[in-house]
Amino acid sequence: MASFLDQDFPDEEEDDFNPVQEVGSDDEGDEKPAADEDAKVDELPTRSERSRSRPQRDEDDDDAKDELGTDGVVGFGRDEDAEGEGRNVDDEDDEEEEDDEEEDEEDDLEGQPSRKRRKQHGRNQFIDVEAEVDEEDEEEPEEDDDQPGEEMHPDDLQELPPGADRDDRKHRELDRQREAQFQMDVEEEAARLKERYGRQSRATGGGSAIVPQRLLLPTTDDPRIFRMKCRPGKEKEVIISIQARVKERAGSREPVHIFSAFERAKPGSPMSGMLYVEASRVEDVLAACEGITHVFMGTKPLMVPLEEMPDLLKVTKEKQLEPGMYVRIRRGLYSGDLAAVYEVEANGTEVTLRIVPRLDYGLNEDVNGPMDAANGPKRKRPLVQRPPARLFSETEAKKRHGKYLSKQGGLSGSNWTYQNKEYVDGFLMDQYKLNALQTDDVNPTLEEVTKFATSSTDDGAENLDLAALAATLKTSTANEFLPGDKVEVFRGEQKGVTGHSVQVYGDVVKVKVDPGNGALSGQHLEAPIRDLRKLFREGDHVKVIGGSKYTDEVGMVVRTKDDRVTLLTDSNQTEITVFSKDLREATDSGGAAADSKFDLFDLVQLDAATVGCVIKVDRESLRILDQNSSVRAMLPSNISNKIEKRHNAVATDRDGNEMKLDDTIKEYSGEQKSGRVLHLHRNFVFAQTRERAENAGVWVGRHPNVQVLAAKGGKAGSGGVDLTKMNPALKQNGASPSPMPPPQAKGRDRLIGKTVKIRTGPNKGMIGIVKDATPEEAKVELHAKNKILTLKKEMLSLIDPQTGNAIAGGIQSLAMGRPPPAGAGRTPAYAGGSGGRTPSYAMQSGGRTPAYAAGGGGRTPAWKQDAGARTPAYGGGTSYGGGGLGGQTAYGGATSYGGATSYGGGSVWGGGAAGGGSGGQSTWNPNMGGRTPAPSGSKTPAYGGMEAPTPGFNSAPTPGSYQDQPTPGGFRDQPTPGGFRGGNQTPGSYQTPGGFPETPGPYSAETPGGDDGPRYD
Amino acid sequence: MSVRTLRACMVCSVVQPATKFTREGCPNCEEFLELRGSQDAISDCTSSVFEGLITMADPGLSWVAKWQRLQGYVPGTYAVKVVGVLPEDYIAAAENAGIKYIPRDGSGTADEQ
Repeated sequence: MASFLDQDFPDEEEDDFNPVQEVGSDDEGDEKPAADEDAKVDELPTRSERSRSRPQRDEDDDDAKDELGTDGVVGFGRDEDAEGEGRNVDDEDDEEEEDDEEEDEEDDLEGQPSRKRRKQHGRNQFIDVEAEVDEEDEEEPEEDDDQPGEEMHPDDLQELPPGADRDDRKHRELDRQREAQFQMDVEEEAARLKERYGRQSRATGGGSAIVPQRLLLPTTDDPRIFRMKCRPGKEKEVIISIQARVKERAGSREPVHIFSAFERAKPGSPMSGMLYVEASRVEDVLAACEGITHVFMGTKPLMVPLEEMPDLLKVTKEKQLEPGMYVRIRRGLYSGDLAAVYEVEANGTEVTLRIVPRLDYGLNEDVNGPMDAANGPKRKRPLVQRPPARLFSETEAKKRHGKYLSKQGGLSGSNWTYQNKEYVDGFLMDQYKLNALQTDDVNPTLEEVTKFATSSTDDGAENLDLAALAATLKTSTANEFLPGDKVEVFRGEQKGVTGHSVQVYGDVVKVKVDPGNGALSGQHLEAPIRDLRKLFREGDHVKVIGGSKYTDEVGMVVRTKDDRVTLLTDSNQTEITVFSKDLREATDSGGAAADSKFDLFDLVQLDAATVGCVIKVDRESLRILDQNSSVRAMLPSNISNKIEKRHNAVATDRDGNEMKLDDTIKEYSGEQKSGRVLHLHRNFVFAQTRERAENAGVWVGRHPNVQVLAAKGGKAGSGGVDLTKMNPALKQNGASPSPMPPPQAKGRDRLIGKTVKIRTGPNKGMIGIVKDATPEEAKVELHAKNKILTLKKEMLSLIDPQTGNAIAGGIQSLAMGRPPPAGAGRTPAYAGGSGGRTPSYAMQSGGRTPAYAAGGGGRTPAWKQDAGARTPAYGGGTSYGGGGLGGQTAYGGATSYGGATSYGGGSVWGGGAAGGGSGGQSTWNPNMGGRTPAPSGSKTPAYGGMEAPTPGFNSAPTPGSYQDQPTPGGFRDQPTPGGFRGGNQTPGSYQTPGGFPETPGPYSAETPGGDDGPRYD
Repeated sequence: MSVRTLRACMVCSVVQPATKFTREGCPNCEEFLELRGSQDAISDCTSSVFEGLITMADPGLSWVAKWQRLQGYVPGTYAVKVVGVLPEDYIAAAENAGIKYIPRDGSGTADEQ
């Protein structure tokens, strides 16, 4: 390769000579073959003269070279271009003839002798010209005159004088003159032409434009092209940088020795990342690219083979866009979308497109976001899913974006301007530059095309033109044919011939012609794909293999027209029309299952605020029940996305009960539809029942309008939500004292068995006994009728069965009052069982026990000491102990009763043992401790807890609290429950034990038992 | 020279920023296209849609120049392909100036193939 280059250089300098020389010698050869050899020696000086005069005619030279090159190529045997070439020659001849005429006139004016001309006319035209040039020049004519033998030489040698001395020299001189003359002539001619058509030769359009490009193919004399690699996408920058470098170094000592550099990068084309430099030597390429950013100097320049050079600059015409054609948009919101060309700008670089708009009408707009004007261009477009393509709807636009919407004048009334874009008939009309569009391989699907066809019915010309669409599609059918297909030639010489394809290669199909096609029958025929189409006959069982929304549909051909085939589908007995290229003979039957990406009962997002449930999946469309209970048919492409099922979704129904997927629910009002929960979304619940056929049994309701009938796992609907588990406050508090279950969770509802009165409703005033109860409701057996009613507890009031008087706060206290007020006070008591306070209580009780014991045994001081010392809070108790107990020796006697109940006493002793509070006790300890260590030990804390808690005291002051009683009861160690009942109501009665026995209320007796039992277990 | 504002002359395919066309016209075709200062003429006769960028350092000797028919033009930046249709009257103007207008959008070569 390098040797080529090295050769090139000297050649180029010689280029100047070669053309002229060749032309000259050729012509000469015709004229005077005999004199040729002789003349050659003398030619040299003339030539050097010429070459000196060259530089002034640079451009001229180039032209000459062009034409020469042309000639040369023709000479190589490219005779197919003879026509064009001939035309060129003719042109030249014409020009010259014109010249001749002009010059003739001149001649006449000058009155030159006509003899010459006459003679010239008999000769070749070149001679004619020569003569005339002759006359124009001042010097040469004189010389000519000096050489009278010039004209005579070829024909009239015999006329020369016999002077032999003169003969040879004259001959040579004549030859030389003639040669010089001729050369001058050519140059003169060129110069003259240049003068006349100067502009033409400068703007090469004229000279070389006529030369077909194939004659400009590179020769070995041309510089070579080297490929360099560069960063893809930066090709243009690199070229511009090289341009700058060439310019910058042009006048310097080391100019860049390249002839040109170019790139052909297009996004996605294989030429991206390539850079081509035309130069004579690799070194020049490297020098030109060295240090230019984005050029990969690591890869060595690769010389492009000569024959591939034209391909690098091959320009293919892009499809001329015409209104009605389909293109795809490359970039932006609509990238990949199909658009119809509406209008093409005059210069063909901008087109107006009709686009199915993708608008969300501001639904996804960030209302709180900064104003557009503030930082409009900078604002980052949030990467939300682009809205589905739908025709423009002014009603939707008016909802939020009325201010951006304005109506355009027009009779049709469907021209709108919305956010500075124009919408006509629902389509967005927008201008695009040609390079933002994809014009090849558009492959519109019928589905897409139908969108454009729908609303243009008023304009007949723009209706869906299947034929035009077919033409669009026709171009890209590479693997349309397979061997074995029945085909028909539908245009060209063999039009109408049918056969089976045997072989498919590239764009050519080899067809075995069917019998019945005359002479061609049975022969093999090769036909280009574009002349072929598949052939189907009525009754053929075919399958749609692609290209339309009917893909995979199977059916029977019922009609064919050109390349449109109508078939009756097997699946739903509808007629569809598709292109024959999209069909194949099918052996299987039955339409393939629609492989929609949406399934039945899927929850889908329709727009930002609307969801729906798929209730029917068709081949290309879906029926969807949206959240507003309306049913829509939609194309899958109109659905922005599918919402995945949230299996742990929980909602609350009307009653506050939790509602999960698959729970059975029932509408509270309206039709009272029931069903199984399919989806819970926001405030909506989609449910489905098998009982209803409508909408596939799917219905939609709002959470507050449904009730859970049965939970999936059989979990009681009545259970409600366990609020205690949810309430973080409770959890926090509960953590330290104890995670003990709330008291009401255990045991029967305490309302059961109580006598109640119905306060409201139809049975108002009736009295009954609660037979059963849930947290909300109670079953009441009426006294009057033998009937059990289920009533809400709010409707009941608790009454005293004896008196019939309502008990204040009765039901509430039983039902819910019970936990809170006293519970709060009591909780520590419970907690006492396990909490950190237990010991202290135990201590206290232990300490107190002696008090009782003291009461009995006269050891009061000890107890006092304990109480005083240990629990300041108990101080109140101390005083009480001091006062009350002091006087209570009798009561202390009761303690002996406590002692009698083995466990009351146990508590005492256990406590005493634990505390070891007083020395006096120790004497007891051995006895009791020894006797009942286990029982007392186990129970003491509990009792201690009960006793100790000041809550007992606290609760005492809160009269009427039913729950208080246990506490004092506990406090009192059982033995004095009765007393305490009264004590509850009248705290003062603490000090007056005598009052106790008087208020034994029937349930005060029973309550402690009932209460304490559960509590202490 | 930012890539975005470039335009290419539909006659000679020279690539320049639009502003340069306005200021100086087309270096090769100014005589008959008369682009200087005329926005209309510039939008008619130049195109922003072109492909392939050539930097032409030596139009006289370059084969690329020969192939692209750029010989005789000034050194500079040219496009391989210029998309656009020159209006009729400009074609006539070019013809009058002795220049055969050859579309540079590939339509010429497409016929040969």
